Amino acid sequence: MRESIIRQLKSIVGEENVLTDEIDLLLYSYDASFPESRPDVVVFPRSTEEVSRIMALASAEKIPVIPRGAGTGLSGGAVALKGGIVLSLTKMNRILKVDTENLVVEVEPGLVNAHLQTALAPYGLFYPPDPASMKVCTLGGNIAENAGGPRCLKYGVTKDYVLGLEVVLPDGAIIHTGGQVIKNTSGYDLTRLFVGSEGTLGIVTKAILRVLPLPEAKKTMLAIFDSLEAASRTVSATIAAGIIPTTLELMDNLLIRCAEDFTHVGLPTDAEALLLIEVDGAKEALEPQVQAIEKICRKEGAREVKLATSAAEVDRLWLARRTVIGAAARARPSLVIQDVTVPRSLLPEMVSRIVEISRKVGLLIGVLAHAGDGNLHPLLLFDSRIPGELEKVHEAEKEIFAAALELGGTLTGEHGIGLTKRDFFPLEFSPREIEVTRSIKKAFDPMNILNPGKILPE
Amino acid sequence: MELSEALYRCNKCGFCQASCPFYQLTREEWANARGRLRLVREALEGRLAPSDKYALRLYRCFMCGACSATCPSGVPAEEVLLKTREELARKGFIPSPLEELGSRVISTGNISGEDKSLRLSWAQNLDFPVRRNGKPDFVYFVGCVSSLYPQAYGLPQSMVYILEKRGVNYSVLGEEERCCGYPLLINGQVELALEVAKKNIAAVKETGAKVLITTCPSCYRMWKKFYPELLGEDNPVEVVHSSQWLAEAGLPLKPLEEKLTYHDPCDLGRGSGVYEEPRAFLKSIPGVSLVEMPLTRAEALCCGGGGNVESLEPSAGEGVAKMRLEQARLVGAKAVVTACPQCRRTLSRAARGTGLKVVDIVELAAKLLID
Repeated sequence: MRESIIRQLKSIVGEENVLTDEIDLLLYSYDASFPESRPDVVVFPRSTEEVSRIMALASAEKIPVIPRGAGTGLSGGAVALKGGIVLSLTKMNRILKVDTENLVVEVEPGLVNAHLQTALAPYGLFYPPDPASMKVCTLGGNIAENAGGPRCLKYGVTKDYVLGLEVVLPDGAIIHTGGQVIKNTSGYDLTRLFVGSEGTLGIVTKAILRVLPLPEAKKTMLAIFDSLEAASRTVSATIAAGIIPTTLELMDNLLIRCAEDFTHVGLPTDAEALLLIEVDGAKEALEPQVQAIEKICRKEGAREVKLATSAAEVDRLWLARRTVIGAAARARPSLVIQDVTVPRSLLPEMVSRIVEISRKVGLLIGVLAHAGDGNLHPLLLFDSRIPGELEKVHEAEKEIFAAALELGGTLTGEHGIGLTKRDFFPLEFSPREIEVTRSIKKAFDPMNILNPGKILPE
Repeated sequence: MELSEALYRCNKCGFCQASCPFYQLTREEWANARGRLRLVREALEGRLAPSDKYALRLYRCFMCGACSATCPSGVPAEEVLLKTREELARKGFIPSPLEELGSRVISTGNISGEDKSLRLSWAQNLDFPVRRNGKPDFVYFVGCVSSLYPQAYGLPQSMVYILEKRGVNYSVLGEEERCCGYPLLINGQVELALEVAKKNIAAVKETGAKVLITTCPSCYRMWKKFYPELLGEDNPVEVVHSSQWLAEAGLPLKPLEEKLTYHDPCDLGRGSGVYEEPRAFLKSIPGVSLVEMPLTRAEALCCGGGGNVESLEPSAGEGVAKMRLEQARLVGAKAVVTACPQCRRTLSRAARGTGLKVVDIVELAAKLLID
């Protein structure tokens, strides 16, 4: 990158907010997924105006810009595929407003999801989307990926909580979408278009989010199974019975063992599967739900159904669930996590197909799922140092995608297409559908400088 | 775990950002363990030559160990950093302020470079002697911060006040006490740490005491964990931290109607697994309501006074301390109790003007002790 451009970037954000040393660039070549590619420069803006000036410069010089939050994305969305500027929004992390009368907050994109939750708790409020990485991931990243999380089964995902956005377009223009009202049918829903656009259409610099009162009570259950199939059948049966718990998480034996090895929570390491089920709401409404769920679990063959008895136990169970992706490194050091979603009634079918694919390809695959909404996270575990292993991963991925789509599902439920699923995009969308998507990208980013090479196949 | 295997185990999930004080402060990737480990791996695999820049990214760390304690993959990042610093020190890449710190410790026996005769300054105005002849049951190992930083004198004064009132047969080492060697160890100067360890052990042996009590978590961890590891032999004394002693002492205490929160010192909690005893003591005070901050126990945020960062980058700690105090404020605590002279110093400084009180658990105990 030309020295004059670096100089201009420094004049916009200050010398201390521009990184150009090889040693630093290396650390912005990755996110939490597998692919890597180095940017030419990393900048840390602190205001909308700085973002706007950076984009105007990038636009004039036709330099790729890759927005980035905590770098915990799982589809390569923050990887600088074609070099350029990594725009790290981590330093724009203020809470601008907590409006307790309208149950609305206004935040900057670099704010960590959990930091918002902590700040809301004293008001008796919470922000429902809860990605497993919520202690570190940023809300800007959540918006870019339309992130979900366990309790999205009951509460819905990020898009259901974003009311309005301030966005900097690729040419530096600043626009506002939506607002702070709950109902809003004024014009096209640009807010929802930006949510999940993976940093390819604009850069979110402020977000107005809807928050909710904390439920009065919750109950957390652990259902233990001697068969993975019975556990997944239980999920479908629960949903079919018209019961929507807050969370309905599935973990297979391999992952139970990894999670237990890290957390020592007391998970049953001999079980083939477990379901972590939570219900919340008014105190008196919970007991009947717990009983109904327990009945279904037992009918479908649960070996044991346990109710967590203390807040500390609940915290430990969730720690085990939220950290299991990292903990999987205890089984094999390299990991690719998939994110397919199928109709909930077909969860057992999809689970059995994954087990079959694992056997056929000869690859260790852990089955993890936000099972209640049909969203599966097969963890493809391998050792990238061993020749031939990565090829097996690619083979298994292809089969998993094909199976999910055949069952009427989708390539990704909450991690995005990014780089890692880009080449599979045409499996899910027709040429005309891809053309429509491409024309939207062109309308916002005619020069293709914003996160190029993501989502759409080249 | 082999170094290369440990490094390979990091699957880049980034969860180490959550409790990393330097990451929370800078919000830049080099600061979280994921980034640091990646640099070490590049160097180990020959793609990155050690340099001052590289060294600085591995020395700008509070060594609080939160990354290791909370890593789902089980990567022992703190251990990796210690091993890497050892090599950097051997090759002459210690940042100069830290090298000077090491030299000070070796030449004067303490971190601030004071004459060893000043080691008992904190006890000057007491009306009883703390360095005693005869065979004590307890040696109180005071540590550099409490001995030589006037703001911290209250802690050793409180400790000996309680020991005195309880009729404990104790002594301090006075001029014979040296820095425990922890600052040397984390500098990567392991040989030098071993040198002071031997001298301290000899001095304690000389007294014939059975128990060594510390009020400093780093001294405690050094004595308890690293001395036996460095020397390859058991300690000649039982090593106890003041908070553990308080939990067992059964002191008669005046009530205190206050909402308190407890800040886990890194070397005491994560570093030594002492989480329960200080909490048990606080809960034993009549009237106290103990609340937990959002990041607590293994996840606790460092106070900003850890590692040798104060020597390397004096301003870094304050920002971290402010974040920690904000957590205390969020849960409605009126006072932060800790069990470490350095946490006490760092947090007190940042608490000025906030209305929050910061106190060491021993000072609190002395204040509430019924004569």
